[in-house]
Amino acid sequence: MFDIITQYREGIMGGLQVTLQMCLIIWSSGIVIGAILGTASSKWKAIVGWPLRAGTFILSGLPVLVLLFWVHYPLQSILNITINPFYTAVAVLSAINIFGIAELVRGALDDFPVQYVSAAKVCGLNPRDIAMYIQLPIILRQLLPGLLTLQVAMLQATLFASLISVEEIFRVAQRINAQVYRPIPVYTALGLFFLMICLPLNGLALLLRKRYTRDLSEN
Amino acid sequence: MTKRFGTTVALDNVDTIVEPGSITAIIGPSGSGKTTLLRALSLLEPPDSGTIRVDSASYDFPLEEEQQIIPPWPKVTVVFQQLFLWPHLTLQQNLRLPLRGLDAAVVTPRINHLVQKFNLLSCIDRFPNQTSLGQRQRAALVRALVLQPSYLLLDEITSALDLESISVVLGHLEELRNEGVGILIVTHLTGFARRAADRIIFLESGCVLESGGREVLENPSHERVKRFLSVMGEN
Repeated sequence: MFDIITQYREGIMGGLQVTLQMCLIIWSSGIVIGAILGTASSKWKAIVGWPLRAGTFILSGLPVLVLLFWVHYPLQSILNITINPFYTAVAVLSAINIFGIAELVRGALDDFPVQYVSAAKVCGLNPRDIAMYIQLPIILRQLLPGLLTLQVAMLQATLFASLISVEEIFRVAQRINAQVYRPIPVYTALGLFFLMICLPLNGLALLLRKRYTRDLSEN
Repeated sequence: MTKRFGTTVALDNVDTIVEPGSITAIIGPSGSGKTTLLRALSLLEPPDSGTIRVDSASYDFPLEEEQQIIPPWPKVTVVFQQLFLWPHLTLQQNLRLPLRGLDAAVVTPRINHLVQKFNLLSCIDRFPNQTSLGQRQRAALVRALVLQPSYLLLDEITSALDLESISVVLGHLEELRNEGVGILIVTHLTGFARRAADRIIFLESGCVLESGGREVLENPSHERVKRFLSVMGEN
């Protein structure tokens, strides 16, 4: 396995770079825009909230691959434009991540137990302290496990980009295997790569869920 | 004061007073408006109409357009029936957070004194869900007491306590009363009300059926109050 990695290290590094670039854009756009959208949808339920929920509902009915293919092939054909498949993949997966995170944030804000704020008010805490020491920590504890799990799913979804010719790590692995036909070491190495990134994140999500869900229940 | 939720009148022209250095007990059946009254008096859910006076400050409802009020917290503070301890903080942190900004030389002895008094030393560094209901109830009361309020509004704070703990809590409330704190307590413990309350209010369906001193319990004039007390017995 290591001889293949050594022999094709330039291509592998290139594929890794593309995968990580995609992830960086998908994760950061999801977290920033998703958080803003989720907060807005909790505050302005009619104008932002309901359209967000409708969009999330529709997206949940579409397989990622179908959406990716539709944006890459029919949509570009209809609009008579050609877009680099890297940007197509990033746009589609970012949109999915944004809607997913926005829904998580909206849910966490809507489900926030207002009685904790009441208790803080009668203790004389000002709105800033209530937000910093009561609301934000509780909301983050609710959000983090789901957020981490979603980001892991987004990383794994980047594999689909290989089907629209994005030169990410899976496509590179396929091309190496097509040349050397050694599927066992090639795909084992690929599996190990994803395990090395996804397992710690999933483990962290599990730990946070176990710890903070327990801590957030008074009973 | 009057308070409505939709078409339901939760409080109907309720008039009450909590004097400094006194204990006022509110008793009544479930759904009579006791908690609503407490929340209205604390200005967490202000009444739709009426006036609330806290010492020299007066709050008239309904508010005029764009009028803002500055609630009298924590001069007036509340211990809720459901406690509402912040679940992500240990009991120690729950007690310290409201005193944020005060000197540690003031905060630490104040907290330590009350923690010892209410027997919370063994669980002070645990999270609320790692403690018993009785411990949480005492912690919620201590969180209010560390604020040294002028008025203390308490909603069924003894429901999960054993008799010894109830005695400690009620003894401390009597001490606070003697120090000049005005206490309003929603309770089903007619025994405590008889022992310690200076004023007793019987509430039903948002209306004050009877109010007065201990004679409300010993010799009620209203038939409904008599029936309620005969069922409650002495506890």
